[in-house]
Amino acid sequence: MQIKKLLLGLLLASPIISWAQGSQVNTQGQKAVGMAGAGSALFVDETSIFYSPGALSKMDHNAVSIGASAVMYRSAFREFNSNDVHHTKFKISPPFSVFATFGPKNSWWKAGLGVYTPFGGSVDWGDQWPGRYELNHLQMRAIYIQPTLSFKLTENFGIGGGFVYNVGLVDLSRSIPTASADGTPGRAELSGMGTGMGFNVGVHYHLEDEFAISLSYRSQVTTKLKDGDAEFTVPPALAASFPNTTFDAELPLPSSFNIGLTFPASERVDIAADATIIGYSVYKELVFDYKDNTPVLEDTKQEKKYENALSAKVGVNYEVCDRFDLRAGGGYVYSPVRGPYVSPETPDNNRIMGSIGFTYDLNDRWDLTGAYVFQRILERTVTSANTGLSGTYKTNIHAPGISLTYKW
Amino acid sequence: MKMKRIFKNTALYIGIVSTLVATSCKPEIEGFQTTPGEANFSKYIAVGNSLTAGFADGGLYLEGQQVAFPNLIAEQLRQVGGGDFRSPFFSENERNGSGYLQLKDLVNGQPVMENITDNLAYREPGKLSKYTDDVENLGVPGMRLDLSKFGPFGAANMYFERLLQDGDVGTKTYMDFATEKNHTFFSFWLGNNDVLGNAMNGAVTNPEDPTTVLTETATFEHAYREFITKLTENQQKGVVATIPDVTAIPFFTTVTRGTLIAAVKAESGQDVQDLYIEIGTGTSRAASDDDLFILPFASAGLLGNTSGENPAPYGLHPSNPIESKYVLDSDEVTAIQARVKAFNNIIKKVAEEEELALADAHAYLNRVQKPGIVYNGVAVNASFITGNAFSLDGVHLTPMGNALIANLFIEAINKQYRSRIPKVDASKYRGVRFP
Repeated sequence: MQIKKLLLGLLLASPIISWAQGSQVNTQGQKAVGMAGAGSALFVDETSIFYSPGALSKMDHNAVSIGASAVMYRSAFREFNSNDVHHTKFKISPPFSVFATFGPKNSWWKAGLGVYTPFGGSVDWGDQWPGRYELNHLQMRAIYIQPTLSFKLTENFGIGGGFVYNVGLVDLSRSIPTASADGTPGRAELSGMGTGMGFNVGVHYHLEDEFAISLSYRSQVTTKLKDGDAEFTVPPALAASFPNTTFDAELPLPSSFNIGLTFPASERVDIAADATIIGYSVYKELVFDYKDNTPVLEDTKQEKKYENALSAKVGVNYEVCDRFDLRAGGGYVYSPVRGPYVSPETPDNNRIMGSIGFTYDLNDRWDLTGAYVFQRILERTVTSANTGLSGTYKTNIHAPGISLTYKW
Repeated sequence: MKMKRIFKNTALYIGIVSTLVATSCKPEIEGFQTTPGEANFSKYIAVGNSLTAGFADGGLYLEGQQVAFPNLIAEQLRQVGGGDFRSPFFSENERNGSGYLQLKDLVNGQPVMENITDNLAYREPGKLSKYTDDVENLGVPGMRLDLSKFGPFGAANMYFERLLQDGDVGTKTYMDFATEKNHTFFSFWLGNNDVLGNAMNGAVTNPEDPTTVLTETATFEHAYREFITKLTENQQKGVVATIPDVTAIPFFTTVTRGTLIAAVKAESGQDVQDLYIEIGTGTSRAASDDDLFILPFASAGLLGNTSGENPAPYGLHPSNPIESKYVLDSDEVTAIQARVKAFNNIIKKVAEEEELALADAHAYLNRVQKPGIVYNGVAVNASFITGNAFSLDGVHLTPMGNALIANLFIEAINKQYRSRIPKVDASKYRGVRFP
C-alpha cells in the first residue's frame, strides 16, 4: 500500500491572490476623492502627477503634499442555505501618497515625483469561517514611485509622462485540511515582496475658463514576486510533505485609460466627469511556483479569467469663498470578476460610490483638504469555480482621508 | 489636570466615534428564512446502525458519538422547532468507549496504527457500561435489518445490550425498541450490515455467526416494510437512506493486486507477476484487478509466508492461495452489487409509497469515490486516510464525513417536506487526525 501516492488527496488548492477591483480604492488625491474620483481635468496641481501628467506643466507654482486615507473594508458572507453570517475583522489599511513638483514658475516645463499606493487592502476572515481552507487573511500593498516630466506645447496644451517603479508586498494565510492530534487544522502562510515597472502618460487641453479635457494612460505593471516565504504548520508526521520553502509568482497590475472632462456650471461651480477603462483581462490565471515540490506540494495554477472593467465618476466643486471649497461626487464601477471567480480576498461585484470633501486654504502657503468616500460593493451570490464555496457576499468600504499641501 | 481631562475626553470621543464607524461599516446580509415546512421535528429519533451511532476508527467513542450525523442534524433542527436529542454518550471517564484505532506514525509513507486502551467503558469483558435512560439517537453498531426482529440479538450485540433494561436483554427486538418512542419524525438508515457483514468477511458465510449472512432480498423487503409501517403508524414523517456500494469504501479499495505485488517486490526483491486467490467455489486462480482485498489483509502479514504443511509461499503460488475471507473476487463483487441494487430499489419504492424523504447515500458516496468532490476548498474522496471522508477503519465516516452526510439528509428533508433547515458548516469538522 503506497500511502505516499495516496497523500495526493491532500493536495493544496492553490493560494489565491488577486489585485482585484476590490483592492483598488483610489485615494491618491483627496480633492479627487471628494468628487468620487472625478476631476482629472479640473484639478491642476501636484496630484496631476498621478491623475493627468499633461496638466502638471500648467501649474504656476511648486508644491508638495502629503496625504493619507483610512480605508475600512468590511465584508460579510453567508453560506448558501445557512443562517450564519460571517464578517471580516475590523481593519484599517492606510494608503498614503506624497507628491512634489520642481521647476521654474510659469515655464514651459515642470518636473514632479509621486509616491502612492494604487492597489492595496487588508481582509481578515479569521480561521473559523466556512471558507477557511480558501483564505484566513490577506494583506497587500502596491507602492508606485513615479518621477514625471511635463511640457507645455502651447499655452493650452500640455503633455507629460512618468516612469513607474512598483514595490508590491503580499502576506496571506489559509487553513490546510490536515487535522493534528487535537483536531485543529494546519495552516499555510505565504509572504513576499516583488517589483515591477511601467509608465504613465497623458495630455491636457483647456479653453480659457470654458472647458478642459484630460486623457491619460497608465500601463500594466507586472509585479514579479521572487523567493517569497512559504511556511506550513502541519502535524509532525506530514512535515516532510510540507517543507517550508520559497515561491515565485507573477501578478499583473492592470493598465487603465482615463478620460476626464470639466466645465463651469456657474461662476463658483465646476462640474467634472471621468471615465476609466481598466485592463483587467490580463489577469487570466495565477501560477505559484514552489521551490521545493513534494507530491502534495506541487506548483499550482488557478484560473482567474478577469474581464476589462469600466468606471464612471461625476463630481461637483463649489467655491464657497476664496479660501474654502466644498465638493461632492458619485460613481459606478463595473466589476472585472465573473461570478465563479469571485473569491473572499476581494469579494467583488459592481459597486456604487458617493463622496464629500473640502479644501481650506489656511494661508497663502498651506492648504488642508479632507474627503470621505463610501463604496458599496453590491450583494452577490456566487459558487466558486475553484473551491465550491457557495454563498452571498456584501461589502462596504469607508475611506475618510486628509492631505496637507505646502505651496511656494 | 485640565490637560489630562481634555486628553481623557478626547480619548473617549475617539473611542465612541471609532466604535460608531466600526459598527456602521458592517454590511448586513439578509438571513436565511428557516421553516419546518410540512414536518414536525419536535421529537426526532434516529434509527440505524453504527453510522447512526457515530462509530468511527473501528470503535464507538465519545468524540465520534458527539459528531454522529443524526446529532448534527438535530442541532440544525433546533432552528425549525426541534426538541431535545439525547444520545447514549459515554461518560468523560469512559470516553474511549469500546476503544478505537489511532494513527501513530507514518513510516516511509506507511500508516502505523495503535489501539486506544485507556478510559474504556467495559463493565466486564465484552459488556459495556449500561445506558438505559431515554435516548433519541437509537443507532446500534452492527444492527441488521434481518436481526432487528430477533430478540436474542440483544444479548449478543454489546452495543444493543448496553441500551436495554436488564429484563429486556435477549427478548426485546430492536424493532420494538425503536418504535415505542412517541416520535414525530425519524431518520432510518438500516440495511448496510445485511450486505457489509458478508462482504467484509470476503463473502464467506460463517454458519455460526448470523452477522456474516447475506440477507435475502425477500427477507429484506418484508422487514423493511414492517419497520417503516411501524415508524409511520401515526402518520409521522421521516427520511430514509440508500445503502452505499461496497466499491465506494476504502475498506475494499485501498489494498489492490497492484499494491500487494509492489509490496512483495519491494520486500523480497523477487519479480512477482501474479497473486493467487481462493475464490468462492473453493478453487484458486490468479487475481485480477477486479478482485477486491479487504483492508486488514494489508497488516495481516501473511503474504509470502510458508508453513510446514504447505511449503508454497502464501498467495504467490496456486497451491497456497490467499484465503477467500480476505478477498471479494470479481464474481462476488458483482453478486453483492446486485444485492445492494435490489435493496436500494426496495428502499426507493417504499420511500415513494410512504412519501418519505430519500437521502441517496449510494449515489452520493459513489460521487465521493469518483471523481471526488471539493467542499469549500477541501478535496473529499474515498482515499484511505487522506480522503477526509472515511475514518481509519475504512468503513465509517470522519467527523467531516458525518457533516457531509448530515447535509445530504437535510437536503432530502428540505426537498420532500418544503422545509428550510439550514445546512451544517462541514468545514468545521476534521478528517483523519495525524500524529
